[in-house]
Amino acid sequence: MGMDAEALGRRIGEARGRAGVTQAELATEVGIDRSAIAKIESGQRRVSAVELGRTAAALQMRIEWFLDDAPHALVSRRNAQDPGSPSPRIDAMAERITREVEFVLRHDDRITPAAVQARTMPETAAGAEELAATARNLLRVPLDGPCTGLAEKVAAVGLFPFSLDLGAESADAATVLLDTGGVAIVNGGLRVGRRRLALAHELGHFLVADDYAVDWRIAETLGAEHREALFDRFARALLLPAQSLRAVWEQHTSADGDTRTAAVRIASSYRVDMATLARRLIELGLAARPDADRIRATRTNRADIVELDLVVGDELAPPALPREYERAVLRLFRSESITAARAMDLLLDTWTEDMLPTLPQRGEDQIWQYI
Amino acid sequence: MGATPGVLVFDTGPLSHFAQQGWLGILRVVVGDRTAVIPDTVVDELRAGAEQRVHLKLVLDAVWLEHRALTGPDELSEFARFAEMLAAKGRNLGECGVLAYAKANGATAVIDDGPPRKLARAHQVACKGTLGFLCEALHDGLLSIDLISAVADHLLESEYRLPFSTGGFRRWAHEQGLIPPFQ
Repeated sequence: MGMDAEALGRRIGEARGRAGVTQAELATEVGIDRSAIAKIESGQRRVSAVELGRTAAALQMRIEWFLDDAPHALVSRRNAQDPGSPSPRIDAMAERITREVEFVLRHDDRITPAAVQARTMPETAAGAEELAATARNLLRVPLDGPCTGLAEKVAAVGLFPFSLDLGAESADAATVLLDTGGVAIVNGGLRVGRRRLALAHELGHFLVADDYAVDWRIAETLGAEHREALFDRFARALLLPAQSLRAVWEQHTSADGDTRTAAVRIASSYRVDMATLARRLIELGLAARPDADRIRATRTNRADIVELDLVVGDELAPPALPREYERAVLRLFRSESITAARAMDLLLDTWTEDMLPTLPQRGEDQIWQYI
Repeated sequence: MGATPGVLVFDTGPLSHFAQQGWLGILRVVVGDRTAVIPDTVVDELRAGAEQRVHLKLVLDAVWLEHRALTGPDELSEFARFAEMLAAKGRNLGECGVLAYAKANGATAVIDDGPPRKLARAHQVACKGTLGFLCEALHDGLLSIDLISAVADHLLESEYRLPFSTGGFRRWAHEQGLIPPFQ
């Protein structure tokens, strides 16, 4: 059963509002009068397939989004915002990625996000530390030592991470819960340590089954009992477990004799930024504020990399899509379930068509399909 | 083979193949008393291409091809369902319109590409390709094997990815008894 003109018109109007486009601007893009757009939106005029296609392109939507219900997490997010006001960039990106991931989950029978049991929201710093230990177990990482390859590890527990450069004006990260699994979007414009911290923070939201979370500035919330601050604490504890940080800090400060070298070594091996390390040292009582401030201002330089023989990692370098998701898109393309153009869309335009595999020849007997 | 009553809804590709060879008149004869339709999304693609490729203008001007805008609730919801699999960035909307019209109106889609044909089968939409019309034209004696061979070989190799090389269609047509012995 199709959608009536009134419901479709209303959805076009809502999408136009979210895209921050006026009726006049949309009319120009579609090639009809502004009054025709007004009539379409009020259900007095039917839209044609060509007009719907142009409307979708103008509003950076996909055609089917006008007719399909949005995933529940997106609906609850929209309801919390002013109706008709433009969506922030991260929300538009979250909608696109969520819908595309759901599409792939519906059509590819081999991709199956792990189902993770929802954990209770921690209420104290100690609770956040406990949740981090639980997370390490889930991620199959030892309770001490660095946690590298975070993107692959969170994907294995059902949270698909996408790292895309959203620009300096955007939020750091967002998480959307799906029926099974979830999607995390990290602003790839952040430096590597901050990207990992952001993803660790989103894993916290995912583990307590938060429907939809947008984090504008991670680790800038103060107050140990505040919800976001507890996720920050969880993220630091996940990346810098207390017991092993204590041991390596003591070992390096006594061996190197200076806190700067110790900090550079540890930040490198644990793949965290200096601000995260400094804050963690304070909360564990391993450094006093003046020392921590010096560490926060430290910059790892080329000489450090050479002299200390540091391994430089670039986890979540944008654009990065979950490998399992990319594989599923390629399966859909190879089986001719989707076109090359659709594959590009699903891969969020991070590929070009010449990167797609060449489709094999068909069997000679298939000629009868074409007669 | 031969004509069966009903409605045929054409994608841009098959019409372009016939027009390029100057065979639109032949196609009209092959269509016979069936109704031939193009949805608004195909009209739009033809218009966009007509500036560069003059033969597409002939398709737009063909009086026997009825233009239909997809505006009905069922047509649009089918259109969206096919677009979900095939369309992106304004591309492939022609074939989405063809499948949607065929599905909503019980017509036969005339389409060559793999993904829309696979989708047509999954959604119980009757489907035919350019090659099918070439065979009909051959069978009805409207076109000779010599004329069709090059076009058919090209289709087999590039669009259908079938293991036939130059002269492959002629050989296959002979084996199938599609060609009268004097040709």
